[in-house]
Amino acid sequence: MADLSKVGTEYSPIIWEVERGKIKELTKAIGDPNPVYLDKEAAIAEGYKDSPAPPTFLTVPMLWSDKMPAIINDLKINFMMVLHGEEEYEYYRQIYPGDIITGTPKVTSIEEKESKSGSKMDMVTLEVLYKNQRGEDVAKSRSLIIERK
Amino acid sequence: MAQELFYEDVNVGDDMPELTKGPLQKLQHVMYAGASGDFNPLHTDDDFARAVGMKDGVIAHGMLIMGFAGQAITGWVPKKYLKKFGVRFSGMTKPGSTISITGKVMDKRVENGENIIFCEVVARDENEDVKITGHFEASLPSRD
Repeated sequence: MADLSKVGTEYSPIIWEVERGKIKELTKAIGDPNPVYLDKEAAIAEGYKDSPAPPTFLTVPMLWSDKMPAIINDLKINFMMVLHGEEEYEYYRQIYPGDIITGTPKVTSIEEKESKSGSKMDMVTLEVLYKNQRGEDVAKSRSLIIERK
Repeated sequence: MAQELFYEDVNVGDDMPELTKGPLQKLQHVMYAGASGDFNPLHTDDDFARAVGMKDGVIAHGMLIMGFAGQAITGWVPKKYLKKFGVRFSGMTKPGSTISITGKVMDKRVENGENIIFCEVVARDENEDVKITGHFEASLPSRD
């Protein structure tokens, strides 16, 4: 089961350079034709500085940085029993190509719950506050990771 | 330029324009794995998926379905106005499924000088099985 003593643990930061091609790749994988994510000129015409990162982009630094598996290991969670329960983002500023974002992951809660069928689960909440290269807050992600037992 | 969306033009009970995605193909799981960095073989390898109990093989990444919801939302409310977006994953999605994203305005009010709309969003497949339920908030410009 998840290591309950880890509540409040802050992990070493994810440092991630945002590439234009990665924004395009994620947008195309989703199949979103919205030109603001694919074309800088279209984004500028809509009042952006450049093509902004789409709403679920922060999954990219989290997963490509290998941070998520490292955290799951540290929490002593059985990876084979993990479910992604919830995901939430708060947006403070746009993320643009060329930005270098730094995200600090923190375990904010671990709770044991019992499902209606009586099986036990650990619910781990992980928050990551992302800042840009100017030290400005850009977004916060909150992930609920469920370990079935 | 896309049509501007003003606070005064959005009313409680309004529906977000519906978005239909699919039918989903396994190829899209491969593309999403590469783009997102989530290489859990549950999404791309039928043999692996069956070995861990998915009798029909691979299932879609939950975050891909959230991405569809993000497409629906920011196709309506520009990304620059979006303040919050969250979902709960409630069902698995199989290849071949067609996913519909719907949304509704639940509340609107001025908070700290910002014109905020509070909305819900739901993704369902062609059998009306719910895949995600979620919410989003956006701060819209005023006509004034």
